[in-house]
Amino acid sequence: MANNHLTSESKQLATWYFTFAAILFGAQLLFGLVAAIQYVMPGFLYGILDFSIARILHINALVVWMVFAMFGSVYWLLPDETGIETVGIKIGKLLFWIFAAAIVVVVLVYLFIQVGPADATTIWFITEGREYIEAPRWADWGIVVVALGFVANLFLTGIKGRQSGIVTVLMADMIAFAGLYLAGMFFTDNITIDQYWWWWVIHLWVEATWEVFVGAIAAYGLITMIGAHRKVVEMWLWIEVAMLFGSGILGLGHHYFWIGTPEYWWEIGALFSALEPLPLVAMFIHVLYDWGKTQGAEMADEHTDEAHVKSVITNKPAFTWFVLNAFGNFLGAGIWGFFHTLPQVNLYTHGTQFTSAHGHLAFFGAYATILVGMMYIAVQGTNGIKVMKHTKASLWGVSLITGGVVGMTVALTIAGYVQVLVSRAQMGATWAAYFDGQSGLWFAQAMDWRLIMGTVTFLGFLFLAKDLLTTGKNPVHER
Amino acid sequence: MIDPSIVRPEIALDDFLPIFISSALVLVFGGIYVGIYTAVKVKLLKPWTMTIAYSFWMLTAYCLYLMGSLMHVGDFTAKALVVAAIGLLLLPYAVYYMQNQVHEENEH
Repeated sequence: MANNHLTSESKQLATWYFTFAAILFGAQLLFGLVAAIQYVMPGFLYGILDFSIARILHINALVVWMVFAMFGSVYWLLPDETGIETVGIKIGKLLFWIFAAAIVVVVLVYLFIQVGPADATTIWFITEGREYIEAPRWADWGIVVVALGFVANLFLTGIKGRQSGIVTVLMADMIAFAGLYLAGMFFTDNITIDQYWWWWVIHLWVEATWEVFVGAIAAYGLITMIGAHRKVVEMWLWIEVAMLFGSGILGLGHHYFWIGTPEYWWEIGALFSALEPLPLVAMFIHVLYDWGKTQGAEMADEHTDEAHVKSVITNKPAFTWFVLNAFGNFLGAGIWGFFHTLPQVNLYTHGTQFTSAHGHLAFFGAYATILVGMMYIAVQGTNGIKVMKHTKASLWGVSLITGGVVGMTVALTIAGYVQVLVSRAQMGATWAAYFDGQSGLWFAQAMDWRLIMGTVTFLGFLFLAKDLLTTGKNPVHER
Repeated sequence: MIDPSIVRPEIALDDFLPIFISSALVLVFGGIYVGIYTAVKVKLLKPWTMTIAYSFWMLTAYCLYLMGSLMHVGDFTAKALVVAAIGLLLLPYAVYYMQNQVHEENEH
């Protein structure tokens, strides 16, 4: 990304974060492909890069690229929202390099050391061993330092600059985001208690603080891309915060059904999980409402028919990804989550490929989409583009990635359904039942399709990467 | 008292597919309901289509009932599902009312 149109060091730092995030996004897909091949051909890279390691890299790269892109998004919008340069930007830049270097070292350790002795040295220097947040403890502390520096940048800038609802929400959200990470940094001897705290990080990140983050970014995007009314968007943001935290915090209960926590979690989990889709539906209304109102006003001003009216969208690729976010959040987090959120059916689906299907579509729909959209907003700003249009590569990228992820989700749902029927309902969740479920024809074919659609997703990523690198100079855009 | 249907749900083998489909349709139909409602309110669709919106809400409520029945949910979960159905019915009203009020206050 060329920086000739950037007037702020904060935005320059944002482009660094986005670039590193995009590289990790590619790594996430690559290691996901390796793991998908190993499901179909178990001997593939056996002894060199086992499934357990490929999976660690796949899911941790997912979390880390999203965190990088989130930090980048905040550094990008801060000067616009507050009207000043980010306070302590030099420290912010230093922390970026520390963060990036730590991630590179952790990845190299996963690749070349892989496993260690069953003692504290492994926890400190190789992996802590809890999925999604498997970084060794030295890196954990490094992440805490970086997160504190990031939160300090955000708070100092938010306090010194112009007061904005978006930044205020982000300030509250990011302190919770950083603080919750601490719940995943200690062990207890009891696996139930250990998992109890681990879910504080995983659930309260993705179904509370990350969703609120998405609300704030969507608000910023709607203001910058379609000129939505700031007061309307910000008022709506507060409603979203109330609804998301209202249902999301105690929705935590749906992870506590079968891990040995007290029985009252069944009822708490059932009630709040049933309510959790409501804010997602509301977010969907929000995008439709703002686009409808703004486009409607434009049509009224132009006094022309629908076919000839000028679009109010100033960044088509980014807006496409933002709209995908509204649908994807609703589909992936909403529908695929609601499938198995009540305890009666979760007893059968827990730990099957249903969870994986939900995870793939929800992470993509709720987070990847909007973060890629922010990357396009950064490309637009970096290259001084007034109205950014689609290119062939951007259309291929968004189509193949979306089609690929939806295809993987369908395949994994079919595999999960086989597991529910065979491994759980018919054979009672025994050891033999697990293998019977995995060896069935439907399950095996679903895994083949998962690999095919994963390859489609990776091809889409190549188009996306090409577009992000080259579209800035494309003459098709209005400058 | 723990809901016995949670500890031992006893879902019939043939009922799993209808459960998954009906639970997916809850949000599909619910999404169509709020989508049409909002589109009518912002004048992207004609007012008569509101009837279709309410029809989709009724389908949503039926799917919730079907899903709950097939799962043999107990009293508490059944009440939670009724609250969710009513919440979905009222949600677009509340959201539209609040958004519109803010528009009115800031544009007039």
